[in-house]
Amino acid sequence: MPTSAATAVQAGDHRVRLTSLDKVYYPAAGFTKGQVLNYYASAAPTIIRHLRSRPLVLKRYPEGVEGDHFYQKECPSSRPDWVQTADVVSSRDGTTKHHCLANDLASLLWLVNQGCLEFHAFLATTEDLERPRMMVYDLDPGPGTTLRDVCQVALTVRDALADDELEALVKVSGKKGIHVHVALDGRAPFDDVRSYARSLAGRQEAAQPDRVTANMRKERRRGRIFIDWSQNSRHKATACAYSLRAAEHPQVAMPVRWREIEEGAEGETERLRFAPQDVSNRLDAHGDLFEPVLGPGQGLPST
Amino acid sequence: MPRSVWSGSLAFGLVNVPVKVYTASKDRSVSFHWLHDKDGARIRNQRICPKEDTEVSREEIVKGYEVAPEQYVLVTDDELKALEPSTSKTIDIEAFVGLEEVDPVYFDRPYYLVPGETAGHAYGLLMRALQETGKVAIGRIVMRRKEYLVTIRVRGERLVMETMRYPDELVPAEEAAGEAEIKVKDLPEKELEMATRLVGSLATDFDPSEYHDRYRERVLEFIRKKAEGEEVVVEPEAEAKPATQDILAALEESLRKAEGEMEAEAS
Repeated sequence: MPTSAATAVQAGDHRVRLTSLDKVYYPAAGFTKGQVLNYYASAAPTIIRHLRSRPLVLKRYPEGVEGDHFYQKECPSSRPDWVQTADVVSSRDGTTKHHCLANDLASLLWLVNQGCLEFHAFLATTEDLERPRMMVYDLDPGPGTTLRDVCQVALTVRDALADDELEALVKVSGKKGIHVHVALDGRAPFDDVRSYARSLAGRQEAAQPDRVTANMRKERRRGRIFIDWSQNSRHKATACAYSLRAAEHPQVAMPVRWREIEEGAEGETERLRFAPQDVSNRLDAHGDLFEPVLGPGQGLPST
Repeated sequence: MPRSVWSGSLAFGLVNVPVKVYTASKDRSVSFHWLHDKDGARIRNQRICPKEDTEVSREEIVKGYEVAPEQYVLVTDDELKALEPSTSKTIDIEAFVGLEEVDPVYFDRPYYLVPGETAGHAYGLLMRALQETGKVAIGRIVMRRKEYLVTIRVRGERLVMETMRYPDELVPAEEAAGEAEIKVKDLPEKELEMATRLVGSLATDFDPSEYHDRYRERVLEFIRKKAEGEEVVVEPEAEAKPATQDILAALEESLRKAEGEMEAEAS
């Protein structure tokens, strides 16, 4: 029986209590909670830039990837007082939820220790929760399709965005799909971003109905790539760049260059999987490919 | 497309909407066959008369209802058939109520209602009317030799009919009594507050797609591997884990580096 090792580390200005460092989180890889914490600690300078000021929806795996997991909007009330939160009012019932923020090293580590293997963040920041600073298309391979097919569809989405003079960024989801992002200037409210996202996805479906669906119904997805535009919503959170993902093996939601997606579309998809230990090399080689998300962003074409 | 299990019409007031009924749920539990362990032969059921010690054919079997110990009243299939509810071909809607008035404990099985030919318009009207009023319909249907009380409500782009248990089919709560007395009064304020807080911290939106029958998945996965001839290990076997002390040292090193980088960036 592994002992439940509890300890505490100094992270910035705070001491963070950590538990069960040797608990295995990814049984297939023998990857422990301690190693998950270590990954996030080493990626912290980069991932925190992308998490900062974005309300989180926690996805907790207290028993690792093969155990139960649950979503949590409300930041656990057991949080230390230095973990910042953001008030988000539900448009459905008017209640206020206090979402966790991962604005610093200690908060990030505390959340990982709570079993947050994955980090899912809002598309908007606390500066203006009604106007997203990012748009996202989550491209998901339906049964009978491959990552190669997803790459090909990602390229057509990129080209469609380019027709509207929008530059797209891309990351592999770390599971099976690909996320295409557009950094926004924060002028358009969610409704506009959502309807733009939906109409572009609809046009993709109309142009290649045998390969693409914008309809989330399961039976439509067989043999097709599902372009999920519906994550562009004020209450939805998307897996953040550099987040670990809860798959069989530890993999990272990794920003990549379009060149790599083009190669994937040619069939070279093996290189589109990234383990936590690959991250620092990639950052050294390419820098943070999602840097533009932190910049001024682009405006949606006026309709 | 599955086959419909019933067809007829929905009747309310003077309106008649031809509909077909499809089952909306399916049993997905894993089923096994019985085999003889020695030779793998399928085990067969036989109907044996213990008095004569011979096998009895289906035709020789009659039904008996036990009125007193070992005393039976014999009934034939024809007699039962004569008693069946007349197979009326309508779902009679008797009332409309708020969904919240229906205790979920009564819900039994869901079915989809699909409009019959040319009934799309009337079906759509009923759907919209239920939506606008926020009501569900209460009706009766005779299906499979039983009369059911049903609710009909809008779910997505279909009407869903749910067969309901009758009140006498429910076991009264008092019959489920354990040893401990349930205490809901005079609980310590502090404990109650903690419990409420715990509930609050786990409160989330319910997403049914997040839940699976994990036992079924484990069983099927186990069978798949066995079928492929892989050695099946029931306990997940992890690779050798790094020692806790090593990982802690690595973590502290990573933290120092991260802090350095973040400070450099901030200044």
